[in-house]
Amino acid sequence: MKQTEGKIGIREYTAIIMLSVGTKLTDDTPTVLFNSAKNSAWISLILIALLSIVPIWFLVKVFSVHQDKNLHDLNVYLFGKVLGHIISVGMLAFGFSALVLDSAIYVDIISSMYFTKTPSIAIYVVLVIVCGYGAKRGLQHIGSTAWLTLFYLKITLLFALAFAFYKGNTKLIFPLWGPGYWEIVKTAGSKMSIFADFYYLGIIAPMIDSFKSFKKGAFVAFAVVVPEILLALMIYVMLFDFTSIEVISYPFHEMILYISIGFLTNVETFFLPFWLVAAFVRFAFYFYLVLILFGAIFKIKEYEYLVPVISILVIFLGVFPKSAAFTIPGLREWMLTILSPMFFLLPCFMWLIAKVRGDFKNETSAQKN
Amino acid sequence: MKHQLKKIKLLLALPFLIILTGCWDQTGLDDQVFVIGIGMDKAEEKGKINITYLIANPEVGSSTQASANNEEAMMTVTIQASDFISMRNNANSVIAREISYDLLRVILVSEELAKEEEFIRYLYTSEKDREIKRNVHLVVTKEKAEEFFKKNSPKFLSRPHKFYENMIGRAIQVGIVPNSELHQFFRITEEDANAFLAIYATSDIEKEKNKYRISENDAVAGNVKIKGETNNSQFLGAAVFLEGKMIGKMTGVENRIVMLLNDTSDVSDILTVVPDPFDEDYQLTVRITKRQNTEVVMDVNSKPPRIHATLPLTIDVLTDPSMSNPVEDKEKIEEVKKSFERFLEEKAMKVVTKTQEEFKVEPFGWSLYARKEFKTLREYMDFDWMKTYPDMKIDVDINLRFGKFGKQPKTPSYEGIRD
Repeated sequence: MKQTEGKIGIREYTAIIMLSVGTKLTDDTPTVLFNSAKNSAWISLILIALLSIVPIWFLVKVFSVHQDKNLHDLNVYLFGKVLGHIISVGMLAFGFSALVLDSAIYVDIISSMYFTKTPSIAIYVVLVIVCGYGAKRGLQHIGSTAWLTLFYLKITLLFALAFAFYKGNTKLIFPLWGPGYWEIVKTAGSKMSIFADFYYLGIIAPMIDSFKSFKKGAFVAFAVVVPEILLALMIYVMLFDFTSIEVISYPFHEMILYISIGFLTNVETFFLPFWLVAAFVRFAFYFYLVLILFGAIFKIKEYEYLVPVISILVIFLGVFPKSAAFTIPGLREWMLTILSPMFFLLPCFMWLIAKVRGDFKNETSAQKN
Repeated sequence: MKHQLKKIKLLLALPFLIILTGCWDQTGLDDQVFVIGIGMDKAEEKGKINITYLIANPEVGSSTQASANNEEAMMTVTIQASDFISMRNNANSVIAREISYDLLRVILVSEELAKEEEFIRYLYTSEKDREIKRNVHLVVTKEKAEEFFKKNSPKFLSRPHKFYENMIGRAIQVGIVPNSELHQFFRITEEDANAFLAIYATSDIEKEKNKYRISENDAVAGNVKIKGETNNSQFLGAAVFLEGKMIGKMTGVENRIVMLLNDTSDVSDILTVVPDPFDEDYQLTVRITKRQNTEVVMDVNSKPPRIHATLPLTIDVLTDPSMSNPVEDKEKIEEVKKSFERFLEEKAMKVVTKTQEEFKVEPFGWSLYARKEFKTLREYMDFDWMKTYPDMKIDVDINLRFGKFGKQPKTPSYEGIRD
């Protein structure tokens, strides 16, 4: 286990979150929001962001007194052996489904937008091999890859959004409240789990060099990712309008197919590699989270040997649905909806139990001493 | 031992080289032909259309001249097909290589097909194909698209992709044709509130003398007499689409007015003529530029709803054929300004009335301003912009400012020279 022994610093850690949450604006997450919140999806996102601060803050608070534990240890410690394990297994199930469904969507994007003749399974195999390899190398490698590529990825993304903004029309955002206040709030409530990644960060909490980095990194990344997705949602509406936005499956890719930079018309080939690198980092990280959690629950020390098994599982489950283009987005939306209350409530409960147990008192008195 | 392990590892990495070739989608440039334009015409059979490919020969006009000196720069193929996508294979019975839409620039539709209800079914297949980009321009041709492709033979720019790119790009800049990207077509058609304008073109030039129009651009393609040995096709004016179906035409000048009033257009270089207020025999050439966005004030609650649009224009007066030197005289300038404003307002109102009475739908993008007046989509939909538009009270104001008066503002007086 020597490869995963080392800890990562705040830079790598923040870069990982920014890439794994930031890339959500390029898959079908915007479409999920547009489906019900229409052109006001960005208002929903503001609500989601405000709501998400609560669980993230509680989570950080709980970890402040249990700095040596990861999320699974903490679950067992706070909820007891049986319930703690159930919660952890549930988390594993959701984490694994997220890995399968999200990767299936990425494969669908690649095979329907870029490599139309390549069989999906071939793309899937390549994607999973790359990400599985990344996960096997461990958090340090994922972190340094993320940090190395972060600025290139964000700058190209900014470029794409800027050109799209120039092509779009700001008036298309109106009517401001789109489908009505209630729909906006409902969307925010049911889809707030798009930031559930922050909850899963607890799994790697002890692998970050200090608790201060863990806390600061999470909030810095959050403060970057929210405006980024917000901007993207608004620009998609400005470019495609509320009617087309519902029928377009992957607005980001439709956008880079449409824009042209000066005399260069087919610029999607320029953005594609950057996007792919971000996707690799994201799935390597998800893969790693699943590995660690699995290892922790079933007490498997050498969890890198799980990589081939999980890879094969991911591929088979991913290509299993008969018509992936319809079933996968439906399943994903369904998962987001179920995960939302859990993402909101679990950290609150954790904090509550910790409070009742008096964990925070020890901390404050320890600090005083 | 360690050495050997390294070798084995290297061997294991070798299969990854296969991945580098780009899997199944790898195609060499040599194995593809590039379609620059697609033409759509009505077919006899229901559910089918005649599709024409305009295919560029990449070897003509490039630096590898030696190999292809005598080959044609382009060719056309017409086959009856159900859509653009199946056509790819149908065409392979005569074309030796794989057909690629990567460089597609224009989709041409004959006026005949554009006026059909069915037309939209065929055009929407282009949204499904990944290679057909949303920045392809839609052009309506008076004759069959197939004929247009055949007759259109530019004297220079024989490479077709350059021709269409430059021809359309320039015509949009000067405002005689609209910017008709497919993206706008889809957006406007789906929003269901405005009219979409497509480029109008033809190579079928009127032969009868009385069918020519007087003013240079106040005509649609085919009605302007141009002598000389130039290209025999014209791009001028606009085809008006309502709900994905062509319902009328606009002349080049009318299109310019629409482009000026509509903020989303990028018309940047308008030279036109305005009657000279001092001598009715002559006309002043002016350059019109838009200072800023059109200011639109509307009252959607009054019955009928009211729109007041103010168009801020800067006008450079470039000629002075009556040689009356308005620059020197404040009163004269004021008079010129008033007459210009009156003239332009009249012209603009004429277009507005035409859209209200003839088309019953507006191409100015004013519904976008109206959106701000509503809180939710439902309220906006219930208002039903398209139904209300013909009854609205609209007036257009021109807020005019003078820019330059040519390179040299003053001219000697006519009488001074002639005495």
